[in-house]
Amino acid sequence: MSQGEIFDVCIIGSGAAGGVMAKELCEGGAKVVMLEAGRKVNPVELLSHKWPYELPYRGLRGEKQAIFYQGDISKSIAYADLDDVGVDRVRILGGRTMHWNAVTLRYAARDFKEWSTQGVEEDWPLTYEELEPYYDRIEQIIGVCGNDDHLDILPAGKHYLPPIPWRCSEHLLKRATTAMGIPLIAVRKAVLTRSYDKRPSCHYCGHCMDGCDVASIFSTPDCMLPKARATGNFTLRENALAREILVDNEGLAQAVSFVNTETRTEQQVKAGIIVVCCSTVESARLLLNSRSPRHPGGLANSSGAVGHYLHGHLGNSVSMYLDELQGKKPFNQDGATDHVYIPRYNHLSGNSSVAGGWGMQVNYQSYMFPQNAHRVPGYGASFKQQVRKMQPGYLQMGSFAKVTAHQQNCVTVDPGRLDANGIPTPVVHFRFSDNDRALWQAANQSMLEMFSHLKGQVFPSFGKAPSGFASHEVGTVRMGKDPRASVLNSYCQARDVKNLFVTDGSCFTTSSEKNPTLTIMALSMRAADYIKDQRRKGGL
Amino acid sequence: MERRELLKLVALTALSPKVNLLQAAAACQMDAAPAKPHLAQYKLQFFSEDESRLLDQLMEMIIPADSHSPGAHAAKTNLFADLMVATSDDSVKKQWQDGLRLVLEEAARSSLAEALRKAAVNEGNPQTDLEHFFALLKQMTVDGYYTSATAIHQDMEYLGNTYLAAFPECTHREHQG
Repeated sequence: MSQGEIFDVCIIGSGAAGGVMAKELCEGGAKVVMLEAGRKVNPVELLSHKWPYELPYRGLRGEKQAIFYQGDISKSIAYADLDDVGVDRVRILGGRTMHWNAVTLRYAARDFKEWSTQGVEEDWPLTYEELEPYYDRIEQIIGVCGNDDHLDILPAGKHYLPPIPWRCSEHLLKRATTAMGIPLIAVRKAVLTRSYDKRPSCHYCGHCMDGCDVASIFSTPDCMLPKARATGNFTLRENALAREILVDNEGLAQAVSFVNTETRTEQQVKAGIIVVCCSTVESARLLLNSRSPRHPGGLANSSGAVGHYLHGHLGNSVSMYLDELQGKKPFNQDGATDHVYIPRYNHLSGNSSVAGGWGMQVNYQSYMFPQNAHRVPGYGASFKQQVRKMQPGYLQMGSFAKVTAHQQNCVTVDPGRLDANGIPTPVVHFRFSDNDRALWQAANQSMLEMFSHLKGQVFPSFGKAPSGFASHEVGTVRMGKDPRASVLNSYCQARDVKNLFVTDGSCFTTSSEKNPTLTIMALSMRAADYIKDQRRKGGL
Repeated sequence: MERRELLKLVALTALSPKVNLLQAAAACQMDAAPAKPHLAQYKLQFFSEDESRLLDQLMEMIIPADSHSPGAHAAKTNLFADLMVATSDDSVKKQWQDGLRLVLEEAARSSLAEALRKAAVNEGNPQTDLEHFFALLKQMTVDGYYTSATAIHQDMEYLGNTYLAAFPECTHREHQG
């Protein structure tokens, strides 16, 4: 990058949204610079295959995943007026695509129409039909395993890789769900079940969340960025933490001021178009920190909606030890974490008094540590034998449920509290609504009912109050039909600043029970098409 | 050759008869073979020698050796506990010192076995300081033992964290719906 060079596009953030955007725009001929606050991690740095006893604290203090949280990312955040939610920010080249379970689910048509179908929140400014071609394209690029299960609530593509084979416990669970009239399907994940796009098939080590050292799980550094680089149009700046987006006299975005966190120097990069892909909390923080006389409340914030409507997912989990499998000879159950999925089903009865639903992920924890050892009472030889006997029967399940979007739940910035680089830190404010609480209770009850159809010991892991988010926070720079209550149009373009786009999860109008990453990538690809089209027409 | 490169080679040449896949997979298995545990040369950082010996006895009583596998003593779970407590804050350190003192006091009145039995009697709903200490002690024993090479490979006979060319699907007729 030469001094004074002006790029066509500057993308801030290299996660799911930024990776797609970089690939698409570079292939479209744009000169792109990407700023990433973290650094690249080489596969040999990942601790995925380390045994606990090779780690200083046996992995019990987060050593395996510490590499995803570079710099002061875990400390530079504050919370106020908060229910039990966790905001999980990572800082690494590839963002959360380096640290995820790769469940890739399409939103259903009704998920874009909460007001029309359930009378809550509002409809998105785009429909499933408009996004469907982008879901198709993304799934083919990243490689998704699974099936077309012919479910309206979980639309499918036509080009899936073979599904992951099922474990014994998953077949037994299907017996229970079938008795209840609930579908249980092969999970759809961005995990390769055969070699694809020069990446190898999964080797079923069970360490998806610890990072995949062979690129069998989709990540932007392994899949999108090589394609962007191959065009000759791509420039990457690692350790570049965006401080502020600078505007010209017309109020248009013209440059990004950033801190080189290695040299602690202030630098700038100029570009004709700025695309913000920093994730829900960081994107709101960046816009709110980008104040100027033309944008006194923060960039693109004439609506006052920037930072607001923070929401995400409710979570819970239950584990069970199936009688039918207890006492069996130990067998290797660690595969690619989840192998099956239970799509939303509470809408099928048609009489739910709460808005939204939940989907269930199954067996997403490693089998290496016997979780029952913290549950089985007593001690001595009988305790030890019981732990060993139960372990082959382990079945674990957790649900993600919808959280409704409300204006008062928000991310603000605190100018009096600076991070290690002198940038005001974000403050998260969040309270669950009555609907959220009712939905959480319903999901808990339903999980217990499901397990009551099986024989074995059940251990619920939910307390008296809901908890949530699980890295799935969305909504702080939302798109919408109403300019008074939203920031972006349906192409993720800021209404106030036409050369500014925000394509990460913060652009969601509302959320469903589905994991958001596939929709983030589809929205980012759609925005990239729009940018390419506008550049051709001279509109940008 | 790095593991990543090797696995890529395995995948990309899967259809080539010239490549010995089993050999490649075996090399990966070697990469994942048990390594030398960290506690081999460990020196106590927090507990005294006497306290550590007491801890060793208590932990072995919680997870003892049996005909199937060694227990907490062989897994050096007391040394793991020393490391964890030594690197915790002062309130945690005090809990451990106070707890071990309570066990000793109780044992002086009867025996160590009786002291442990008394500490565990209300495990589901601990009331006394001794009962609360049992929860702490058992959790540490469980964490230390089941993350040790002894427990993972010998007791639980864990077979994962390895390279599989294909996942072994359940084909048991009795499990199918």
